Amino acid sequence: MRSEKTIISGLLLAMIAVSCTERINIDLDNSYTRLVVDGTITTETKAHKVILSETSSYFYNQPAPMVSGAQVTITDGENTIDLTEGSPGIYSTQPSVHGIPGHTYSLRIILPVEIGGYTGYTASSLLNPVNPLDSIRLRFRPEFSKEGFWEVQCYVQDPPSSDFYRFLISRNQKLITDTLQEWFVTDDRFFNGSYTNGASIAELDQSKPEEKLSEGDTITAEVNNIGKDYANFIWDAQSELFGSNPLFSGPPSNVKGNISNGAIGFFAAYSVTRSKAITHAIKR
Amino acid sequence: MQRLISTLAFFILLPLILSGNSNNQGLQEKFIISGYVRDQTNGEVLAGVTVSDNILKRGTATNAYGYYSITLPSGKYELQYSYIGYKTVRKQVDTDQNITIDISLDLADNQLNEVIVTGKRTDENVRSTEMSIARIDSKTIGRIPALLGEIDLVKVIQLLPGVQPTSEGSSGFSVRGGSSDQNLILLDEATIYNASHLLGFFSVFNNDAVKDVTLYKGDIPTAYGGRLSSLLDVRMKDGNSKKFSGTGSIGTISSKLTLEGPIIKDRTTFLLAGRRTYADLFLPLAKDENIRDNKLYFYDLNFKLSHVIDENNRLFLSGYAGRDIFKNQFGTIGFGNRTASLRWNHLFSKKLFFNMSLIYSRYDYSIGTPPGDENAFTWTSKLRDYSARFDFTHYLSDTHTLKYGATTTFHEFFPGTASGSGNGVFTSFFLPAEYVLEHSLYLSDEFKATRNLTLKYGLRLAVFQNIGPGTYYNYDINHTPVDSTVYHKGNIFNTYVSFEPRIAVNYLINDKSSVKGSYLHTSQFFTLAQNSTAGTPLDVWFPATPNVKPQLCDQLSFGYFRNLDQNKYEFSSEVYYKNLRNVIDFRDHAQLLLNQYLEGEIRIGSGYSYGLETIIRKNEGRMTGWISYTYSRSFRIIPEINNGNRYNAPYDKPHAISIVTSYDFSKRLNASATWVYATGLPVTFPTGRAVIGNAIIPIYSDRNAYRMTDYHRLDLSLTLKGKEKTGKKWHGEWNLSVYNAYNRHNSWSINFTHDVNDPNVTYAEKTYLFSVIPAISYNVKF
Repeated sequence: MRSEKTIISGLLLAMIAVSCTERINIDLDNSYTRLVVDGTITTETKAHKVILSETSSYFYNQPAPMVSGAQVTITDGENTIDLTEGSPGIYSTQPSVHGIPGHTYSLRIILPVEIGGYTGYTASSLLNPVNPLDSIRLRFRPEFSKEGFWEVQCYVQDPPSSDFYRFLISRNQKLITDTLQEWFVTDDRFFNGSYTNGASIAELDQSKPEEKLSEGDTITAEVNNIGKDYANFIWDAQSELFGSNPLFSGPPSNVKGNISNGAIGFFAAYSVTRSKAITHAIKR
Repeated sequence: MQRLISTLAFFILLPLILSGNSNNQGLQEKFIISGYVRDQTNGEVLAGVTVSDNILKRGTATNAYGYYSITLPSGKYELQYSYIGYKTVRKQVDTDQNITIDISLDLADNQLNEVIVTGKRTDENVRSTEMSIARIDSKTIGRIPALLGEIDLVKVIQLLPGVQPTSEGSSGFSVRGGSSDQNLILLDEATIYNASHLLGFFSVFNNDAVKDVTLYKGDIPTAYGGRLSSLLDVRMKDGNSKKFSGTGSIGTISSKLTLEGPIIKDRTTFLLAGRRTYADLFLPLAKDENIRDNKLYFYDLNFKLSHVIDENNRLFLSGYAGRDIFKNQFGTIGFGNRTASLRWNHLFSKKLFFNMSLIYSRYDYSIGTPPGDENAFTWTSKLRDYSARFDFTHYLSDTHTLKYGATTTFHEFFPGTASGSGNGVFTSFFLPAEYVLEHSLYLSDEFKATRNLTLKYGLRLAVFQNIGPGTYYNYDINHTPVDSTVYHKGNIFNTYVSFEPRIAVNYLINDKSSVKGSYLHTSQFFTLAQNSTAGTPLDVWFPATPNVKPQLCDQLSFGYFRNLDQNKYEFSSEVYYKNLRNVIDFRDHAQLLLNQYLEGEIRIGSGYSYGLETIIRKNEGRMTGWISYTYSRSFRIIPEINNGNRYNAPYDKPHAISIVTSYDFSKRLNASATWVYATGLPVTFPTGRAVIGNAIIPIYSDRNAYRMTDYHRLDLSLTLKGKEKTGKKWHGEWNLSVYNAYNRHNSWSINFTHDVNDPNVTYAEKTYLFSVIPAISYNVKF
């Protein structure tokens, strides 16, 4: 549904294309420091990461301060996995670990010193299964901009349950959609229980160097069934990053994650399926 | 139940008691003088003309249809008919029987031909019980400099104390700190649900078709209700009954043409007005192929037919249709209002004026992406009203004027239907329709208790009913839908009753000054699902339901009114306090569009507003205009928002100043200037940040804890008329205007973003819409 919102925003904003922007100086207060958690466990067999950092003032202008020396564990009630710290603040499982659909994973963090008044933090997340992608297709859309877009269309059977999907796109094994703003997240409201039959899951803007495709490039689409709470988290964060204006935007507000004791961020468990397509020559 | 009985008793007994009084108190025989007051040149009836006698000084004013009725003991009197901008007419009458006197007023000639005319009787400001009210006629509106030269009554309303635009250039307005959906906007009695064109930069009202506009900020007449903050009553012209005439203009963004005239002399008149913007007519010349097929325009059509059946019966049929169309390669958006009203005026007697109205109103929008595509979809939303009104004005005696009546409305809501229009990827999705019945019964009495004291008191009984068919979700305490209830057609499954007392008092200290006070209770059953400040045409209205209680407001106002220098200057100062209950706001990150669980996004609390409004206004002479200052605060307390702490309401602007001036250099040349200042709107800014998914996520302050930069702007305009020659049928004038003359970059929004080259660096960026915007238009009258 968010893609419709983007189209509508595009339509309406084009009506007021007269606006101008300028950089301004504003004095902002600083709120207290909180723990920031960014962690996942998926059905892939690999080293799964949990990244711990601290909040900073808004104009801090440095990489986030990392939190070292914490004890981090993930459990599904049967097995408990200890994570070890590699680079400061980045905690990983062994590379042989994978999550199992239907299990609920719990994250437990114990900090060496208090942040935001607490040393202990927890979160839990249900790992939802995902139907395997049948195929993806690439279609060139010259009409949407000067350089055109490559639209990635997907073919998969959606189950009758209410599902929330995230799509990630790689070009020649390198993730293009590597920041939260670029993640494409949708619910299945418009195709619940049906075959998607070519629903658009990404648009690669050919005027952006990092999204530009050449003939013969291998495009990989990854689909995750991420659950409602993580989808809402991503949507809310995206809407805060999209910028606000008096037409569409409600009051800016904090993005609610699933970590206890007022920490910021999300611990997500999800399943992964992938499909590939090769870029063909553009027929203009 | 007890309250209901006492209310009904009030409705039934008050007229009886009062008529009993009036019959008994007359020792002398009394007679009625009644009739209509019109404009000499075009035959338009004039509303609000004061009619008073020279001995008892018991005045009355013509109603919205130009009718007056005054009761006097037998004797010789001189009646005075006065209306600012018109020559006062004095008429000798000998009351030995009931007399009908129809009067035509001529434009004042001791003043310049088209002097700015504001307000009503010269001392109306002081004498009337009305407070918290502003009347403006279309001539005043026409003189005030406008964005792109597009004259707009809503933009003029925003220059009055206590009224503010919801954002830069917006035709949405906030009255006394309220939301824009708390204003009832009526065009010939039909509700306009979205008064905006082109994302709010223009309103739907074509000034050439408008006779006058009244804004009630408090002391809303008992005949109207359903919104908390204000009533904006826009009345269309009836059409020239003397001769066929027209006005037209060619402007920077639009052209207008209005034709009016008699069909049957002195009996039937018509008015037809059209406006269309034409920026897109030049698009086919564009180099970019993508743009050539684009469309971007809006139009308005106003239509009115007035017919005098006989002395006691008149008919009015009026209609409005307007639409915005915007099309580019991504898709098409269309939205607009349509209204129709049929009104019948009937005089049961010289003392009893009756009006019946049948009203239709509709708002809809549709969005579609180009069909054929796999992801193509169309999405529509619509609401419709069918209403009937029965309004009586009862000139009971020389001291009592009663107004009573009843209304009933059937509302239909189709909040949204979305369906795929391509190869069937999307299944269709629709939100259930909702149906509502709304009724009211009202009675008010204006009582001239003594020569110095006038009381107006009344009661409005409003009834709201949800009626099936309908599907309603039930929510748990976490606002999560748990199950739903389906109601069958015709099943009235929820009723709200609201008792709305309204009281106003005017005490005349002397001929030049008065003090006034008023109290009113209002309720609102319909809310706009909008959590941005300006909103978009896609925002939908939703009714009260068992889950959503009506919003309620109590407002208390006091004011001091004084005229200076023989009524040349009008001064008033008012203070008000409003207490709001069941105030609706929305949860953080609310999803308001195409959401069947919209009610789960609502959070309910309370609010209050207070303020001071001061205005000094000059209505006569070469220099006219006003200066106003407003201090106003508005707060909300909603348990589940901002941790339950009080926060600034979205339209809380403590200080506002407007200066509006117009100067006639000669009969041909007029210059006008307006300057506005207002504290910036409250906003929420980040006070920290967190890095998640390689993105910098802001952490915010309390809601609305910061403010945008202060807003100020100067607009100028110059009007030059063609030379007047006798016998000339064609009168032309040039209008030059400049919006934002000193190029102030007022913030439309302030955003926080990261540097493209160094993603760790964040900075603030403001967006402004307008630099200096000049415009030119040529207007003709014939």
